[in-house]
Amino acid sequence: MNRVRNHVLISIDAGTIMAGARAVEKALTEEIVRQGLSDEITVLETGSIGATGQGVIIVVYPEGVYYGNVTVQDIPQLVEEHLLKGRLVKRLLLSELPKQHVVTKEKTGLLKEQPRIVLRNSGIIDPENIDEYIAREGYEAIGKAFSLKPEGVIEEIKKSGLIGRGGAGFPTAMKWGFAHNAPGDQKYIICNADEGEPGTFKDRLILEGDPHKLIEGMIIAGYAIGATKGFIYIRGEYSLSIERLEKAIAQARQYELLGDNILESGFSFDLSVMKGAGAYVCGEETALIESLEGKRGHPRLKPPFPAIAGLWHKPTVVNNVETLANIPEIIWRGATWYRGYGTEKCPGTKVYTIIGNVATPGIIEAEMGTTLRDIIYEYAGGIKEGKKFKCALVGGAAGAFLGPDMLDVQMDFANLKEYAAVLGSGAILVMDEDADIVDMLQSVLHFFKHESCGHCVPCRLGTAQLVKVIDRIAASKGIKEDIEKLSNISDVMRDTSFCPLGQSLCLPISSALKYFHDEVYARIPL
Amino acid sequence: MTKEKKLSITIDNRKVAVKPNITILQAAREHNIYIPSLCTLEPLPSYGACRLCIVEVDGLRGFPTSCTTPVDDGMVVRTDTAEIRTLRQEVLKLLLSEHPASCLFCTEHDECKDYQGTIRKVGVTTGCRYCPNDSLCELQTITEKIGLTETSYPVYYRGFPVEKSDPFYDRDYNLCILCGRCVRVCNDIRMNGTLSFKERGKQTTIGAALDRTHLDAGCEFCGACVSVCPTGALSTKVSKWYGKPDGETKTTCVYCPVGCELLLQIKNNETIDVFPNYDSTIDQGLLCVKGRFAIPEYVASPERLATPQRMTPLGYEDISWDDAIDEAAEKLSGINPEDVLIVVSPQLTNEDLFVAERFARELIGTDQIMSVLITDMREETVSFLNLASASSPFNVIDTADTILTIGFDSTYGFTPIGIKIKKAAKAGVNLTTLSVHESNLDIVSGETFQMNVTKWPALLDSIMGKMPGNGKGTKLKPLNKVVVIGAEVIFSPKRGAVFEKIVEMKDRFGWKVIVAHPYTNLMGLLAMGAFPGIKRGEIVSDGTKSTGPAVEDPLSAMDLARHRKVVYLIGEVPFENLPECDFLIYQNALSVKSTRKPDLVLPSSLFTELSGTIISAEGRILPIRKATDPYGKSMPDWQIISKISEKIKSGALKYSSISAIQTDIKKQVKSLSDVKKRLEFRKISAKTSGKGRTGKRLSDPKSSRKPWEEKYRGIALKDVVSGMLVIEERRRHE
Ligand SMILES: Cc1cc2nc3c(=O)[nH]c(=O)nc-3n(C[C@H](O)[C@H](O)[C@H](O)COP(=O)(O)O)c2cc1C
Ligand code: SF4
Ligand code: SF4
Repeated sequence: MNRVRNHVLISIDAGTIMAGARAVEKALTEEIVRQGLSDEITVLETGSIGATGQGVIIVVYPEGVYYGNVTVQDIPQLVEEHLLKGRLVKRLLLSELPKQHVVTKEKTGLLKEQPRIVLRNSGIIDPENIDEYIAREGYEAIGKAFSLKPEGVIEEIKKSGLIGRGGAGFPTAMKWGFAHNAPGDQKYIICNADEGEPGTFKDRLILEGDPHKLIEGMIIAGYAIGATKGFIYIRGEYSLSIERLEKAIAQARQYELLGDNILESGFSFDLSVMKGAGAYVCGEETALIESLEGKRGHPRLKPPFPAIAGLWHKPTVVNNVETLANIPEIIWRGATWYRGYGTEKCPGTKVYTIIGNVATPGIIEAEMGTTLRDIIYEYAGGIKEGKKFKCALVGGAAGAFLGPDMLDVQMDFANLKEYAAVLGSGAILVMDEDADIVDMLQSVLHFFKHESCGHCVPCRLGTAQLVKVIDRIAASKGIKEDIEKLSNISDVMRDTSFCPLGQSLCLPISSALKYFHDEVYARIPL
Repeated sequence: MTKEKKLSITIDNRKVAVKPNITILQAAREHNIYIPSLCTLEPLPSYGACRLCIVEVDGLRGFPTSCTTPVDDGMVVRTDTAEIRTLRQEVLKLLLSEHPASCLFCTEHDECKDYQGTIRKVGVTTGCRYCPNDSLCELQTITEKIGLTETSYPVYYRGFPVEKSDPFYDRDYNLCILCGRCVRVCNDIRMNGTLSFKERGKQTTIGAALDRTHLDAGCEFCGACVSVCPTGALSTKVSKWYGKPDGETKTTCVYCPVGCELLLQIKNNETIDVFPNYDSTIDQGLLCVKGRFAIPEYVASPERLATPQRMTPLGYEDISWDDAIDEAAEKLSGINPEDVLIVVSPQLTNEDLFVAERFARELIGTDQIMSVLITDMREETVSFLNLASASSPFNVIDTADTILTIGFDSTYGFTPIGIKIKKAAKAGVNLTTLSVHESNLDIVSGETFQMNVTKWPALLDSIMGKMPGNGKGTKLKPLNKVVVIGAEVIFSPKRGAVFEKIVEMKDRFGWKVIVAHPYTNLMGLLAMGAFPGIKRGEIVSDGTKSTGPAVEDPLSAMDLARHRKVVYLIGEVPFENLPECDFLIYQNALSVKSTRKPDLVLPSSLFTELSGTIISAEGRILPIRKATDPYGKSMPDWQIISKISEKIKSGALKYSSISAIQTDIKKQVKSLSDVKKRLEFRKISAKTSGKGRTGKRLSDPKSSRKPWEEKYRGIALKDVVSGMLVIEERRRHE
C-alpha cells in the first residue's frame, strides 16, 4: 500500500455542486494523475464544511489549508504549486475560515473555535467510507450501549440532559422512556430529516458529512426503546444526502452493524430511507408519520402521542437528526463529559444555521448558552461591511425577532422561553441596519400561507388574510387598523389552530411589532 | 357485561355523570349542552378542523377542542366564556371569508326566513338565493348560535366551476368549508376512497384524485357525502331546489332483499329525497345508489298509471275502478283453473302476496302461481331456492375467518354486505374473490381469481379440498367460513354446476352462505306460499321439523308454452316466454312498452304510498310505511285483488285494512307472529318424480338471454331513473 502524503478534500454539497464541484473534482483527479502524484495524493469527497457562498471549496490535509472559489482553470496551478512544490496559492485561500474543531477546543484561525460534538467528523472524514468513521471511534458507542440494559441507555441520556433539537425542545430520555414503557410488539424509531425550515441546512451537513453518526445514533435509540426498525424521513430535495445515507446503510449492513443480531448482542435492527413529500408541515412529527404511512401529510390529533401510538399505531419515537447525532458521543464519552458543555438546563452544543447580513454565513456549532452576540461577532465574523446590527430572526420562520437588547441573552431552550423567544431549529437570520422589517415580515407570512396544510380554519384562512394585510402595508396602501389586524388574527390563530404551525405565527408578528411598530406604522399612508 | 363506571365532570358549573372514553363534546351533547361544531358528525372520527368547539378546561393549556379532548374524572370544563365567544366569532369570520355569506348577513334576513320558505333557483331581487341548501344549512344555524351578525373580511369567491357531469348529485365547491366530513364518510365509513383532499393550504379542494369524474374514480353514488355535507356544496340533483322537507318517514327499501332502512324525506305529499339511517341495525346507514337516489324519480315517474284503463280498438281509454273490477271479475269468474296464469312479483309485500296466494289457490283453484324468478333461474330454480332459503344473517361476516365471494360486486348494490367484507379484509380476514370481470372487492382481497364461469366448479373443488377435516375420521373444526354469491353467478347460464358446488360447501363443509339476489321479498313469497308446490307457511321453521317441501321443477310444471285464457300480472311486466293468452290483465305502477299489449290496466300504488311488511334475506320481518297518499287513483295490490274477489264471490277474500290481513297471516303462519324474531327456513329440495318433463322446452337460453339489469316490479330502473342509465352502462363496461 502506498503511503499517502496528502489528502485533498473536496466539499460536495448542493451549494458546491452548483458551483461546479464535480467538474473541479474531475479536473483535480486528472491533473494529479497527469503530474504523476496519484500514489502520494488522494482526493476525497466530503460533505459541506460549513461555509457557504464561497464556491467550490477544497481542503488540503494535513496542513488544513482551505481554498475557496476554485475553478477548473485553477487546478493545474493549484496542483503544481501546492501539491508538488508545497507553496500556497494565496489568491485562492479562504479569507475567513469556517473553523471547526474537535472537542479539544484547539484555537486556530481568525474566528473563535467551535466545540464540535455533533459536527466532529463533518468535513474531515470521507462520509462515503465507513472505515474513516470507525477510525474516529465510530461505532464504539453501540458496543457500549449493548453492554447496558435499554433502561441503562435511557438513564445515561437522562443524565446527560439531552433535549430534542428538532424545535419543540422535549427531553429525549423522557420520550424514549414513554416508548420503551408503551406496550407493543413492534416499535419504531424515526429520524426526522425533513429540515423544512427556510434557510436551515444544519441537518444536511450531518447527513452529508457524517451519515454513520446518525446511523449509530439510531441503532442506539432503537435498542433503548425496543424498536427493530427505523426510518429516516428525509427531505426529497436532499438527493446527495439520500445517496450518501443509502451508501452508508449498505456499508453498515456489510459490516453487520445493521441487520440481525448486531455484534452478537441479540439485538436486530434495520433502517430504511424514505423521501419526504416536500411540505413544511410534514416535518411536524405526526404529519410526518401520516406521510410515511402513505397518506396526506396532515398533522394528527394528539393524544395519542406517537410514543404511544405512532407509525401504524405502534409506539414510535421521532427524533431530529441533530438529536440522534448527539447520542453516540453521549454514550461513548458519558453523560458527565457531555454536561461539561452547555448550560445546566440544556447541556451540549447547538448547531446553528446563520444566514443574512453576516460576514461568514454558514453552519456553526456552539455551546448551549452562547449569546447571540458571540455567535454573530465571534463565530460569524460580525455584520457584513461593518454595518450595525438591527435584529435577528432566531428559531426559524416561526421564531422571534430579537433586537439589540437581546444580544447578550444566553441562548438555550429554557432561557429563551423566559424572553418569549425560541431556539427552534437553530436558524438565525441576521439583519443589518438597512434591512426592511416589513419586507421580512411579508416573506415570513407568505411562507406560512404557502405552507399551511389547509386542515384547520384559522390557519388556512388566517394566513390568507394576514398575507392580504401585509401585502397592503408593503405596498403602502394599508390603513391604521391593519397593524392591529396582524396581531388579532395571529392571536386567534395561536389560540385556535390545530397544530404548532398555525399556533406559532404570532411569535414573529408580535416580536416584530414589539421592536419595530413605528417602522411598520411609517408605511401606512396618512 | 360489566357496567362501565361513570365519570363525574363539571360542565359550565353543572356536575354531570358521563361515560368514560368519550370526548367533551359527546358528553356535552348527551347533557344537552350546546357547543357549536361544523366538522364533527357521529359516527365519523373526530377531525378537529373547524375549531369552533373550543372550550376551556382547568389544567389544560389554551383552548382545547372539545371534539378531540377525552373526558377525565373530575374535569372542569367551561364552554361559553366571553373569551371563547370572541374566539369562536373570529374563527367563524375567517371561515366565512371564503364562503358566500349573503344568506347569513342581510338586513332582510328575518323577513326572508319567515316569508320565503321556498327556494328560488334564480335569485329574486336581492339575488341571494343561489344556494340549494338554504334553510337546511348548518352554517346558517351556527352563525345564528354564535351570534355573528356581520363580518370584517370581504368574501373571496373561489370561482370553481360547478361540477355537474356525474349522475345524481352536483358539486359546488365554492360553498365548501373543507370540514372533511365527505372525505371521512367516503373513506372511513364507506371504505370507498373516491373522495380526497387535493392541493393544500388555501388551494385545498375536495375531489376525486387525478381530476377524474366520480364515475371514473369508482364512486358508488351512495350519496353519503351529500348527506353529511353541512353546506350546499353537495346536493342531490332531483331534490336540490325543494328546500326543507316537511316530514320524514322511516321505511324499508324494496329494491333488494337486504332491507335497508330509509328515511323518506317528504314535502307537499311527495317523496323528494331519501336519507340513510346511521342508527340502523340492519344496514348501519350504508345505502347503495338505488335506495339513496333511485326512489323519488321512480315514484314520481311520468309513466305512473293514474287510472284503470281498457284497451279499445282506438287505443287505451280511462275507465272507472268499478268498471275495471267488473271486467276483471267477469273474465276470471268460473274459469277453468288450467286456463289462468297468475304472475306475482317477488317485490310485492307479504300482505299482497298473501292475498294473491289465497286468490289463486282458494278462489281460482290453481297452484300455478308464476313469478319471474322461475324464468330467470329456469332448471336451477330449486337449487337456487335451496341456497337462498339457507342464507345466513349478514353479521356472520363480522366473525368470519375466511370469506369467499363468487361473482359478487358491491359497487352499486348490496353495499352493507360489501362494506362488511371490506372491513373484515382490512382487519386481516382471509378474503378470496372469484369473478368473471373485476369486482370492487379485488383491491382488498388476498387472492383474486378472474375466469370464465365454466372453470369455477373445478376451482371450488380445490378450495374445498384445502379444507381441514376433509379426510376421514378427523373431526371437523368449528368453521367460520362464509361464501357470498352474487349476480355474476346467479344470472350465468352455467350457474347449475356452481350452485351444486356451493350446496356441497354448505352441506358437507359447513360454509355459511349469503345469496345476493335481486328478489326483494323472495322469502315472503315463499313463506306466503305464492309458489307452485309450496304451501303457505310451510317453509318457515318453527324450530322442530327440519325438512321442508320437496318441489317439482316449477318450470316444467308450469308449462309456459301452453295457451291461457287469462294471464293476470301482479306487479310484473309481460316477460319473455309469457304464454299466449286471450286476455292480459296488467296490474302495476308504471306503464309498459311491450309487444303484447295488456287488455286491462290496473294502477297499483307504490311502497312509499302504502303499508305492509317484507321478509329480508336475513329472515327479518321489516315494515313498509306509508309516507304519501297513493298516486292518482292507484290502490295497493292487495286491495285490487280483494275487490276483484269480492265481485267473483262475495265475502271470499274481503279485506278492508292491512291490519286485518296481518291478523290472518299470523293466524295461519304461526312463526310469523313474533315480528322481532329472525326467521329460519326449512330446506327446499327437488322432487324427483319419474314423470319427466311435461311441458315443451323453452327456447334456447343463450339466444333469448338479455344481460341482467336492476329492476323494480319488472321495470328496469335505468328506464325510469336517469342516473341509473349511466350506472347500468358503467356496469356493462366493466
Ligand atoms: C410545522 C412544523 C415543522 C417541523 N419541522 C421539523 C423538521 O423539519 N425537522 C425536525 O426535526 N423537526 C421538525 N418539527 C418538530 C417535530 O414535530 C418534532 O418535534 C421533532 O422532530 C422531534 O424531534 P426531537 O425530539 O429530536 O426534537 C416541526 C414541527 C412543526 C410544528
Ligand atoms: S395549524 Fe391547521 S391548517 Fe395549519 S398546518 Fe396545522 S393543521 Fe394544518
Ligand atoms: S363538500 Fe361539504 S362535507 Fe365535503 S368538505 Fe366541503 S363542506 Fe365539508
